[in-house]
Amino acid sequence: MNAYLRQVYAVVRKDLLQELRTRQRVATMGAFAVLVAVLFNYAVDPTIVRIQNIAAGLLWMTLIFAGIMGVGRTFALEAEDGAFQGVLLAPIPRDAIYLGKVISNTVLVTVVVALTVGVFGLFFQLQYGTHPVALALTLFLGVVGFVALATLFGAVTAGTTLGEALLPVLLFPLLVPLVVYGVGATGRLLQNRPLAEVEGNIRILGAFAVACIAIGAVLFRHVVED
Amino acid sequence: MTATAPGPRLEAEGLARAFGAHRAVDHVSFTLEPGEVVALLGPNGAGKTTLLRLLSGALRPSEGVVKLDGRALDTRGPEWQSRVGVLSHQGFLYGHLSARENLRFYADLYALDHARERVERGLESVQLTPRADDTVRTYSRGMRQRLALARTLLHDPDVVLLDEPYTGLDAHAAAVLRGVLEALRDGARTVLLVTHNLTEGLALSDRIAIQVRGRWVHEAPARDFDPTTIHERYRQTVEGAGGGAP
Repeated sequence: MNAYLRQVYAVVRKDLLQELRTRQRVATMGAFAVLVAVLFNYAVDPTIVRIQNIAAGLLWMTLIFAGIMGVGRTFALEAEDGAFQGVLLAPIPRDAIYLGKVISNTVLVTVVVALTVGVFGLFFQLQYGTHPVALALTLFLGVVGFVALATLFGAVTAGTTLGEALLPVLLFPLLVPLVVYGVGATGRLLQNRPLAEVEGNIRILGAFAVACIAIGAVLFRHVVED
Repeated sequence: MTATAPGPRLEAEGLARAFGAHRAVDHVSFTLEPGEVVALLGPNGAGKTTLLRLLSGALRPSEGVVKLDGRALDTRGPEWQSRVGVLSHQGFLYGHLSARENLRFYADLYALDHARERVERGLESVQLTPRADDTVRTYSRGMRQRLALARTLLHDPDVVLLDEPYTGLDAHAAAVLRGVLEALRDGARTVLLVTHNLTEGLALSDRIAIQVRGRWVHEAPARDFDPTTIHERYRQTVEGAGGGAP
């Protein structure tokens, strides 16, 4: 394994090991997602509203709010015993730290999304449509784009007095394209519309994710060092 | 460690760092020779920790240059970071990982060869092998400090910066730490040791420097200091330079 990949892998492994030991973030995000599903179950009257029509929006909002709770904690966990300072004093490219964090956060949020989709299916008898792979790809690309931005802004807000409270304020405006195309694609897939109708949305979600990672990798150095 | 080049190992020229109007480090210049151990003494607020943070790359200097083997390097560049090891007030350790996992993580960040062997050697050097798989949060202050020292030395740095390594240690932990620090006096490694413990500083170092109000106000070979009078001499130096109580 070359040095760069080894460094990225070290960050991923460390983050996932920490989460495995503490279960802080997945438990918080998972509990939030389940509670939201329970509340929606009482808030939405299926005799008035057809659940397939609003499920995509509910799912994405739950995903984003739960995700912020978890990803926003990324750098708070690094503050213990100044550990992140130790990482910054090592000869590791800053983009390798960023990529490692994006990968580990993606794994965690993906687990929570899978749980959320399952819980929504259980509570609302939600049908996943005839293109489950496309649905999974849509949600996964949404998670990657969200995590790429949330990890970068999590680093920005970690050093501020407002901390995690500031993260949604900075992040939400930038998530608008993700929500528009993600909800659009998810809604059509849940309503069994032809795949051709969502291909464009999925491509845009993919491009958004790649662009966010590229921008995050470039900016992360300035965020954590200056 | 890299081969020793002729001339000083570490040089600082006019190093300064201000926080607002307060000059924590005020145009400090010095050289440290290869293999030299220098104890840096000074009262609280003298800027010793800030100086170490500048040398480690944790802080950017407002002014001045630092050189390694005669070359001015970016303290946040990979060459500097590969050749400098830092033991700070904080251990830079992850409490939910074991000692072995912490060292393995840093070995991978430094992309070290023979990582497994280095990690085991590091654990052994600080006598933590029996507790290597316990999570660090279960460690005492002394054990954490020993592990932090193993982390500092894991990549075999040419320059070691130590900030108050004895703080909060019991007698056993201090003895283990002293053994490791004495082993650092191998004639090749350069050590800058910030300490309030004058006796320990004198015992471990080749040279003593005293920093007051951000400036190095006194430097002398350790052999010029008498262990029985060092406290009085230190007090007079600090007061003469306008510093507070040590």
